Amino acid sequence: MILVDHATRTFETPSGAFTAVRDVSFTVAPGRFVSLVGPSGCGKTTLLGMIAGLVPLSEGRVLLGSRPVVGGVPPDIGYLFQRDALLPWKTALQNVALPLTIRGRPAAEARSKAVEWMRRVGLAGFESYYPHQLSGGMRKRVSLATTLIYGPAVLLMDEPFSALDVQTRNMMENELLDLWAETRNTVLFVTHDLEEAIALSDEVIVLTAGPGRIKASYPIPITRPRNVVEIRFREEFTRLYEQIWKDLRDEVQQSYARSTQL
Amino acid sequence: MKSSKATRARRSSDRARRLGGRLVLLVVLLGGWEVGARTRVIDPYFVSLPSEIARTIGGWIASGFIYVHLWATIQEAVIGLALGILGGVLVGVLFAFSPFLAELFQPLMVVFNAMPRIALAPLFIVWLGIGLASKVAMVVSLVFFIIFFSTYAGLREVDVNLINHVRVMGGSRGDLVRHVLFPSALTWIFASLRTCVGFAVIGAILGEYLGADRGIGWIVQYGESLFNSNMVLSGLIVLMAFVAVLDGSLGWLEQRFSHWKQKPL
Repeated sequence: MILVDHATRTFETPSGAFTAVRDVSFTVAPGRFVSLVGPSGCGKTTLLGMIAGLVPLSEGRVLLGSRPVVGGVPPDIGYLFQRDALLPWKTALQNVALPLTIRGRPAAEARSKAVEWMRRVGLAGFESYYPHQLSGGMRKRVSLATTLIYGPAVLLMDEPFSALDVQTRNMMENELLDLWAETRNTVLFVTHDLEEAIALSDEVIVLTAGPGRIKASYPIPITRPRNVVEIRFREEFTRLYEQIWKDLRDEVQQSYARSTQL
Repeated sequence: MKSSKATRARRSSDRARRLGGRLVLLVVLLGGWEVGARTRVIDPYFVSLPSEIARTIGGWIASGFIYVHLWATIQEAVIGLALGILGGVLVGVLFAFSPFLAELFQPLMVVFNAMPRIALAPLFIVWLGIGLASKVAMVVSLVFFIIFFSTYAGLREVDVNLINHVRVMGGSRGDLVRHVLFPSALTWIFASLRTCVGFAVIGAILGEYLGADRGIGWIVQYGESLFNSNMVLSGLIVLMAFVAVLDGSLGWLEQRFSHWKQKPL
């Protein structure tokens, strides 16, 4: 379970204090898939960083399970970054095996598990490739395998598919849902794409334009298993989209106006 | 990437053409030199002749004269290179992990690096004698700074994203060093290693040139004092061969450690 309680983060900048996230509270129940949507610059990444222990909180607290996140990265957490974070000097297989190597597992076990995960993300045969030899979509799959191999209870995803083309992206979203149906981690998924958020999640939380606050939260009662491409044509999907978009639109406009003001 | 038969064949024919081209170039240059000197278009007193140089070097090898000198220069360059790399890496790591020390020593490092080493060489000889130690010191003074700056940069410029990635999957400080910082620094160090080899040889020769009783630099200097251009050039040719071997083996080593890198298109 993720519990974020009155979390605030202020940065000191040359032009004074800047509040990235203001007084945000929400919970994600174990095994749920929740998305955070908001316009760019609304503090989504900062919020994930706070939960992962990478960004210290100015006020408030974060609990994972019953343990508060203070002074470092909590155990049992996975983070899929927006940009590629694969180690360029390791092969795909070595990258996938790294979390197990770090946990001191025997090399043979780490290797065989990594081979298994490479197969599960559809990359059997690419084990000895280096990241620069793989396409963007393939690198994302490797990243996903790297994150899922050690079975973290909580999975944080920061716009993981935003750099991919639409077709690859839809494929990856479906694959993510298939994998998640087996692993059932608690997922917090950050995106600026409302369609993606609705298609994937059990719940969508809308954030305001920076400083990010919670504007509204919507349960997504669409049954699983889902196919992210096909459910977009369903009537309940369109209805939810319209409903949430009304909230999001104002924030996007505000964020856009601000970015063009200068 | 797996290469098909066709690209492999093309690569090997490219290679053959390149080698052939180099050979032709060498023959033209040496032949021109030889013919020019024999027909007195250029004065052999000043530039000698390739055939003469070959005979001299052959004589040195046959009599065993060259070995003591070549060995002296190799020792100086290699020991100096090893110590310079070791020192540069250690100090680079130390400074990268201690911003206080880095701040404290930064002006000193810049000033020392800017100092012309040729002016230092006589001092090294006064301090350490005309033997091995003064030449090694000379080489270290050149190599140390190059390696220090690349190690420091390699550790400071690591992609934060990579560090966070390994931290979030549960990596300790030791894991970060082993899986992220060390490989990152290694690529920077390798990039500057070949420059270092050139500087190591320059340092050794410079030291010998200014005061020694052996070494290739000593041969060159002795030849100059006799106005014997043949001896000077023979010494330099031996030196070039030595550098080519050293550089080639480093190139091979570098390739083994950077096979993961993307080749430019």
